[in-house]
Amino acid sequence: MAVSASLHSHGASPLLSSSFPSSRPKPSPSSTTYLYVLSKLRAVRPLRLCPSLRFSSTAVKATTLSAIDPSTTSPPGKDGKLLLEVKDLTAVIAETKQEILKGVNLTVYEGEVHAIMGKNGSGKSTFSKVLVGHPDYEVTGGSMVFKGENLLDMEPEERSLAGLFMSFQTPVEIPGVSNADFLNMAYNARRRKLNQPELGPLEFYAYVCPKLNDLKMSVDFLNRNVNEGFSGGERKRNEILQLAVIGADLAILDEIDSGLDIDALQDVARAVNGLLTAKNSVLMITHYQRLLEFIKPTYIHVMENGKIVKTGDISIAKALEKGGYKAIAER
Amino acid sequence: MISCAAHCCWARSTALGRVHQWDSDKLKVSIEDGGGGSSGAETVAHKVHTFPPLSMAALAFIHHNPIPPRPSLLSPKFKRKHISRIPPIQSSLTPQFGFSDPLVLQLAETLEDSLPSPPPSSLQFSPLQKIRDTSSETLLSTHWPSLKDEPFRFTDTSFIKNSDIYPTSQPPQSLDSLKIIPSELGLTIVDGHIVDSLSNLGSLPDGVYVGSLLNAPLSESDSDKSIPKKVNELVGEFDWGDLFWSINGLGTPDLAVIYVPAGCRVEEPIHLRYYSAEGGNEGSGKLPVSNPRVFVLVEEGGEVSVVEEFCSGDGDKCYWANPVLEVVIGEGARFRHSYVQSQSTRAAHIKWTSVRQESASSYQLVEISTGGRLSRHNLHIQQLGPETETEISTLHLSVSKQTQDLHSILVLDHPRGYSRQLHKCIVAHSEGQAVFDGTVQVNRYAQQTDAGQLTRSLLLEPRATVNVKPNLQIIADDVKCSHGAAISDLEESQLFYFQARGIDLETARKALVFSFGAEVIAQLPHPSIRKKIETQIKGMLDPR
Repeated sequence: MAVSASLHSHGASPLLSSSFPSSRPKPSPSSTTYLYVLSKLRAVRPLRLCPSLRFSSTAVKATTLSAIDPSTTSPPGKDGKLLLEVKDLTAVIAETKQEILKGVNLTVYEGEVHAIMGKNGSGKSTFSKVLVGHPDYEVTGGSMVFKGENLLDMEPEERSLAGLFMSFQTPVEIPGVSNADFLNMAYNARRRKLNQPELGPLEFYAYVCPKLNDLKMSVDFLNRNVNEGFSGGERKRNEILQLAVIGADLAILDEIDSGLDIDALQDVARAVNGLLTAKNSVLMITHYQRLLEFIKPTYIHVMENGKIVKTGDISIAKALEKGGYKAIAER
Repeated sequence: MISCAAHCCWARSTALGRVHQWDSDKLKVSIEDGGGGSSGAETVAHKVHTFPPLSMAALAFIHHNPIPPRPSLLSPKFKRKHISRIPPIQSSLTPQFGFSDPLVLQLAETLEDSLPSPPPSSLQFSPLQKIRDTSSETLLSTHWPSLKDEPFRFTDTSFIKNSDIYPTSQPPQSLDSLKIIPSELGLTIVDGHIVDSLSNLGSLPDGVYVGSLLNAPLSESDSDKSIPKKVNELVGEFDWGDLFWSINGLGTPDLAVIYVPAGCRVEEPIHLRYYSAEGGNEGSGKLPVSNPRVFVLVEEGGEVSVVEEFCSGDGDKCYWANPVLEVVIGEGARFRHSYVQSQSTRAAHIKWTSVRQESASSYQLVEISTGGRLSRHNLHIQQLGPETETEISTLHLSVSKQTQDLHSILVLDHPRGYSRQLHKCIVAHSEGQAVFDGTVQVNRYAQQTDAGQLTRSLLLEPRATVNVKPNLQIIADDVKCSHGAAISDLEESQLFYFQARGIDLETARKALVFSFGAEVIAQLPHPSIRKKIETQIKGMLDPR
C-alpha cells in the first residue's frame, strides 16, 4: 500500500489563527463544503485546554512527512510531534470482502486525547483493530503512518513494540497462562527491543506490584490465568494494567467503559490520566459521555459508515446525548 | 425403564480440518466383557443383537445372565469364569478354536525356554506359575492383532511383529552403563528384572513390603495370610486381557509386589524405575522384549502413592517394553498412580494397567507419555463396590514419527461411583499420531453414577492425525454422565492477543502449547517430578 504522495490540506481555512489549537481531521480533497462546515465549527468552538494534560503552548513544529502543500502550515499552538496519521484508509473483512472502512482520515499528535463516537456498526472497533493489525481485516487502500513508520509493513507485534497499544473490547481468555507470566513476557519483549536487560520473575513482581495497587487490584490476581473466569470489569482493569506495565505512545482504548461500574470507571480513568504525558496520546472509542467527563478529550470524532464525518470538542458529546446521532448528522 | 446409549463412532480428524465419522450401520452389540466392537467382530457371546441404524440410538443392552454385584475379592470362589461362559476368550480378537497363530506360538516357546521352569519358589503354590499357566492357555488361541481388529484399528503393531523378537537376557547386562544412582525410595527394574543392588528400600513403614515375591515375608502363623498367599489368590483374575497381557504373563521372570497393610499410610512415594539396557541398533531388526510385572495390594484404609517411570537410557535403541501393573485397592483405600513414559523414540512400549477398586476406594492416575515409537497404554478399571472415586488425567505428546495410544475401560457395576477422565494429546509432527479410545461402562446396578470424560487434542502440523473415540455405554437409568471431545489447532484469537502485546508469534505458540499440557502436568502429586517433567516437555517442544 503506497503512502499517499501529497499531504492534503490541513483544513486550510483562513479562520485558523495562532491562538487556536486546531483540530487535525483530514477533509477529503473534494469536499469543500465539508471544509466550510469545519471552518464554521472552528470559528464557533471555544478554546478548551484539557486540565489534565500538560501542554506547552508554543508554536507548532513542522510535521515529519514530506511533500507538504505550501498552503498548509501546521497551525501554531501544537507543539507535539505527529504520532499517527491515517489517510483515506479503506478496509474490508478478509473473509467476506465486505467493506467496513471507507476512507478514514485521522491525525493524532503527541499529548492529545481523541475520542471516537458513533453508531453501532459504523466501524469504530474495526478501525482500531485495523490499526493494530488484526488478521480478520484487510487494508485495501489508504495509509497509516505511526511515528514515521508505515504500519502496513509491520507485523502486529512490531506495531506493539513501536508503541501502539490497544485495549480490546472483549479480551480473550487464555487458560493455562498466568497473568504474571504473560505480563513478564510482554514486558521483556519491550526491554529486549530497547536493548535493556530483561527482568526475572522476582524483579518483575517488584515492578508490577505498585501498579496493581494503583488500579486497586489484589496481588493474587497475578496467579490467575489471563482473563480466565474474569468478570467484564476485571478484564478491562487487566487491559489497563497491561497498559501501565508495558507503556505506550498511543493507547487505543476500545470501549473501556463498557461493563464498569462507576467506581471502577473512576479508577480506570485515574490510571489512564496518570499515564498521559506530553509525549503520548490516547484514542478512546466510546458510546457515552460519562467516560469523557473523566478523561477529557481534545477532540471528538463522530464516525459513520466507515468514515469520520465530524470532528469537534466536548460540545459534540453533549449534542449527541441530547439528540442522538441524527442531530449531529443534520448539523 | 431402562434407557441407555452406546456411542460407537470413531471421529477421525486430520489437521486439514476434515472429520470423518464412521457409524457402523448395523450396530452389533455383543454381551461380553468389554465388548462393543463394530463391524466384523463375530464374538462368541450369548446373544448378538442387530439394530437398525439410529443416530444417537438408545440400544437395549440385555444381559443374558445379569451379573450380580461382585462379592469381596478375598473369596476366590466367585471367579467370573464360572458364570456360564466359554473358556477365556480375548474380547479383542476373533476366537476361532483350534486356530493358533504360529508367530505367537513361536514367541511363546521362546519366552518359556528363556525362563527357569518351574519358577523358583519356596512355597507350595506359586503365583507366578499360576500366571504362566493361564497365559499359555490363552496364547494358544490368540492371534497377533491386525488393523482389522477393532482395538488395534489405528495402532500399527507390525513393526514389532516383523522384528526379530527375543527375550532380554537374565541377569540384565550392562548395568553400569546406565549410571543409575538409587536416590528415591523404590525399586529399580532393568529389562524386566528387579535389581536389588540399585534399589533403595530404606524408609518403609512397618508392615509395608516392596520387592520381589520370592523374598516376601511369610507369616508366622497359619491363620494369618501371608503376602504370597494373598497375592496368589488375586493374581491372574483378568478376563479382558489381550495378546500382550498374555505375553507378559508367560514371559515375566519375577513378580514385584508392593503390599500395604490395612490402615497403613505410606507418606513417601514409592518409585518404580524401569530401564531398558538391552536394545538393538536401528536397522538391525532385533527387538529384545522385557516383561516387568508388578502387583500392588493396598488393603483396607491403606494409602500409598506409586510413581512408575520408564526411562530411556542413552541412545535411541530399539527394544520392546511390555509391562503389566495389577492393582487391588481395598475398601476405603487410596492409591495414587503417576506414570511417566519417556522411552527411546525407536522403542515399542505396550503397557497394561489393571485396577480393581473395592467400595469407597480412590484411584488417581496421572500419565505423561512422551517417548516410544509406538506407545500404548491399556487401562482397565473394575469397580467392585459402591462409592468409588476414579480420576484419570493423561497427556500424550508426539513430537516425531510416534504413535501414542490410550485405550481405557472403566467398568462400573455399583452405585454412586464418581469418575473424571481428562485426556490431552499434542501432535507436533506431520507423521505423528495419537489414538484414544475411552470407554465408560455404566452397568445396570451402577445407579447415581457421576461420570465425566473429556478429551482435547492439539494438532500442530499439517497431516498430524488424531483418532478419538469417546465411548459411554450406559444401562442404568439414574446417572449423570458426560463426555466431550475437541480437536483443534491453537486459537487464533489467543495468538493475536499475544501479538498485540508485543510477543512474537513463535513465543506465543510455545507458551500456548505448553499451557495446553500444563493442565495435566499440574495434577502430578509430587512437586519434584512435576518440575522434572515440565523441564523435559519444554525441551521437547522447543528443541533449540
